[in-house]
Amino acid sequence: MIKKQWCFAVAMGVAASLLAAGCSAPSSESKKPVTLTYWDFLDPSQDNPRAKALKENIANFEAANPNIHVQLSVVSLGDMLNRLPQVAAAGQTPDVFKMFTPVVPQMAAAGAYKPLPDQATQVTDWLRPPDNLVNGDGKQVAVPYEYRTCQLYYNEKILKKIGAQVPTTYDEVVAVAKKAAASGVTGFGTGFSDTDNSAIIGTFFDCFMSQVGQDIWDKEGKAAFATPKGEEFGKFLTDLRDAKALGSNVVADSYGTVADGLANGTVAMAVLGTERAVTFSKTAPDLKWTPLPMASTGDKTGATIGWTLGIGSGSEHVDAAWKFIEYMTGPKGAAEMATGGEVPTRDITYKEPYFSTPEAKKVNDIAEYVKSNSKPHTYSDNWTALAAGLSRAGQSLVLQGRSGSDFIKSAQDAANK
Amino acid sequence: MSNDHTAARGLARETLAGAGETPPTRRGAPTARRGRGDRQVWLYVIPVSAVFLFVFVGPLIYTAWTALHETTYYQIGEFSGLNSFVKLFSDPDLRKSIGTTLVFSLGALVIALPAGLLSAIVLNDISRFKRTVRSLFLLTWLMSQATAGTIWVWFLNPNFGPATAITTSLGFGPTDVFTTPATALLAVTLITAWWSYPQAMLLFLGALQTVPEELRESLRVDGGGIWHGFVHITLPYLRNTIVSVVVVLLMLYVQMVTIILVTTRGGPLAATETLSMRVFNQTFNEFDLSGASATAILLFAVNIVLTLVAIRFRRKETL
Repeated sequence: MIKKQWCFAVAMGVAASLLAAGCSAPSSESKKPVTLTYWDFLDPSQDNPRAKALKENIANFEAANPNIHVQLSVVSLGDMLNRLPQVAAAGQTPDVFKMFTPVVPQMAAAGAYKPLPDQATQVTDWLRPPDNLVNGDGKQVAVPYEYRTCQLYYNEKILKKIGAQVPTTYDEVVAVAKKAAASGVTGFGTGFSDTDNSAIIGTFFDCFMSQVGQDIWDKEGKAAFATPKGEEFGKFLTDLRDAKALGSNVVADSYGTVADGLANGTVAMAVLGTERAVTFSKTAPDLKWTPLPMASTGDKTGATIGWTLGIGSGSEHVDAAWKFIEYMTGPKGAAEMATGGEVPTRDITYKEPYFSTPEAKKVNDIAEYVKSNSKPHTYSDNWTALAAGLSRAGQSLVLQGRSGSDFIKSAQDAANK
Repeated sequence: MSNDHTAARGLARETLAGAGETPPTRRGAPTARRGRGDRQVWLYVIPVSAVFLFVFVGPLIYTAWTALHETTYYQIGEFSGLNSFVKLFSDPDLRKSIGTTLVFSLGALVIALPAGLLSAIVLNDISRFKRTVRSLFLLTWLMSQATAGTIWVWFLNPNFGPATAITTSLGFGPTDVFTTPATALLAVTLITAWWSYPQAMLLFLGALQTVPEELRESLRVDGGGIWHGFVHITLPYLRNTIVSVVVVLLMLYVQMVTIILVTTRGGPLAATETLSMRVFNQTFNEFDLSGASATAILLFAVNIVLTLVAIRFRRKETL
């Protein structure tokens, strides 16, 4: 009996030590020093609030996780789109990278992402469901990092000078833009350059299609927006062209040049992303913003877009990568980014003390606007082709006098090429 | 029988050489030295060949291999034969790309060649501040293509560029040169010529310094003017250099990507999309690696034709 008890005790001891060894193995693994490579377009060495917030966040994360070092590479979106498919093919993706929402499925198709670990499903308080951040197998590959949508910016001083009210429909935008153009400024700022991956026309198109309730792709993922609803966007652009309200440089203008024009008072109105509101409020006091003008449907709801974070397909540090993503999108990290004007994506973040301060008013307003005036939708894996097609179709519209329906058809064909 | 003897003698010589001994015949000494010399040549040839294989033949074969396969992003898929070439040659835009390449390359050449020659003559003739002036002339070529392109994009910006300030004050309006196909192509051609002419200038300057001064003296004594000197002395001495400069510049222009990328990215309406720019766009914007490889092979063929034409010209000159 005693012998049996001894055997049982020894067996239990062995089992306990094995269990302890089994449990302690991953923890010692996780304590090994890890260097995470991270691609972001923000340069922490720059003197702006967003860059400072990023720098602060990385430092805070490293302090909280002394075994994880974050090695940041500053890569522009254009470079990321070019380089990610290359590094994915070579198995050398960064551990974590930022990506613009509409391009996530395309980068997933290019093999740049690793599906997120199971822990990702435990985060359930996203303000918008992240259903559109999936790969071809329907597995989630990214989480929202920052939200934005479109809004109409206008120069109050110019509108006052020409005696115009803030437009509330697209027809009114054309009429006001015509008046403004007659006074010597660009009536409505947009651009058909594809030097920045057609950011301005692509974003505006995305929001407009949401407004008119037009799906951009069919169930097979083919672009299918050349419909009467889609043509409304082409008609708006041709109306602006015919009213001579587009800038003389519209063919070569990009997101940056239009934003600069708005800021320095040479552009009367433009549809840009909400992320510009914080900067404009500090640098261009004459610039105001208002919800998108109503489309024929009477709808003002644009698309919820923004930046996302995902894990690179070549990452060998998935746990550490997820830990970093969780921190950056979590309450502490997101609140820090909000000080730079970024709109947090999780409900829990808004319970942080910063959001009750007067400094947070702007971000709270934008967050409220995004919540009430935008909705997310799914994207196919050919966003860059569609955006380039929109630019080229826009160039034809201006230089060759093409019609609005030609514009939409041409952009659709380019996306499906 | 005789062959056997020769082989045996060679073997004996090699054995002796291998053993570190000198062959007994007097004729053997230089032969052994030549043999060692021949072997030493390989020390130089092998690394060069290895580099050549690695950086040229390898990528060329890989490009051809890629063109013969389907690709998804940068992954090579199934063998597709000549599909990408069929697609390339049936593309209605190809003719436009070739036309743009010709207009851009020949246009830049027509500007850069005389500009380079004229600058070289000026530099060769001045006696004071020679180094300073030479450095100033070389300045444009010393900056990278990306910098040159960016400077011009800023300078010609219709909203805030200095050129716009000048043209607006003169009553011509803003300098929106990149907004129409014709002006964009003209602007990109001029910028490229501006950036590259010092390369021609350097080559011409080197050649001008080989022109014997006595010939110029004789011409002066005979009462010949500057034009006579240029036509009857300078040009004949520069003929071969002109051919070389034409080849070097044409190669440069046909393969030019950076300046076009920075200024227009091939637009508007593909008006500045040369074959090289098309390769770039197909690779990095459309992710069509197979199509880009087919275009790259075509571009390579164009370069071969240019080289052969140049070699033919030079041979004629030599004859």
